[in-house]
Amino acid sequence: MAIRTIEVRERVMERNDGIARDIRQRLDAAGIVALNLVSSPGSGKTLLLERTLAALDGELRMAVITGDVQTQNDAERLARHTNRLVQAVVTGGACHLDARQIDNGLEAVDLADTDVLFIENVGNLVCPASWDLGEDAKVVVFSVTEGEDKPLKYPKMFREAKYAVLNKVDLLPYVPFDVDHAVACARQVNPELQFFFTSATTGAGLDQWFDFIRSLVARRTAGSAA
Amino acid sequence: MSVAMEICRIVDQKYDRAAGTLVTVGVEIGDDSGLEFGNLEFCLETLLSQPPFGGAKPLFDRKPGSVLRVSYLELDDGH
Repeated sequence: MAIRTIEVRERVMERNDGIARDIRQRLDAAGIVALNLVSSPGSGKTLLLERTLAALDGELRMAVITGDVQTQNDAERLARHTNRLVQAVVTGGACHLDARQIDNGLEAVDLADTDVLFIENVGNLVCPASWDLGEDAKVVVFSVTEGEDKPLKYPKMFREAKYAVLNKVDLLPYVPFDVDHAVACARQVNPELQFFFTSATTGAGLDQWFDFIRSLVARRTAGSAA
Repeated sequence: MSVAMEICRIVDQKYDRAAGTLVTVGVEIGDDSGLEFGNLEFCLETLLSQPPFGGAKPLFDRKPGSVLRVSYLELDDGH
């Protein structure tokens, strides 16, 4: 038996990251802010986006690419709140979106007529952290019905994110959730993380979230990144 | 699992079946790569045990930093 060694030395994410770099350049050139919403299942990403589309439709030109393992339910929910494009990606079992899927999804988006691209990733706090989609920033959404130590359990996701939305704050009187402890856990892995505290159900905190989206678009229009 | 599948995609691309049987896949993994080493090892072993890889073993080289790279393939040419 003779063993032959073949040198490879290829970064595992090289192919994905190359496509993501190209996407980022195209979106940047078109002046589009791209946010990749990531979370565990059931944190309220879709409702947060529904409320965002409903509130900012007509003011900002928004497009959505939404990923689901199976079904187009989220895309159908979101499409009720806007006449603009909501592109569904059914991953067929995969637990995350990749840059190639976003690249394909963008073929249907009129980049010259878009201010903001929301990417609603598959509900999963592990795999989506490793996949660059060409976004300006990851926004990690988690909720008060989850543990405060979620950022410590899924540190890569909270490290990769630039913004965090703590959702379902309307349930705080009914659940044993310590907000300060949750924020401390998140800042332990990412001291720069910027927080929003929302209830997509009651609307609490959403004005700050909407103002934040507006400010990102204004800054991008003025020439700086998210 | 998604990372293990991406590693297998790279292996499949580089693996010349005519050159021999794949026996080892060398992977460099950084301590700060954000991956749970045992989980990746288990997923990759599972995938490599299936066709077209036929039982090749992953061999991990743990490094400082965030590197994640397929570093080499070992083939048995049967001679």
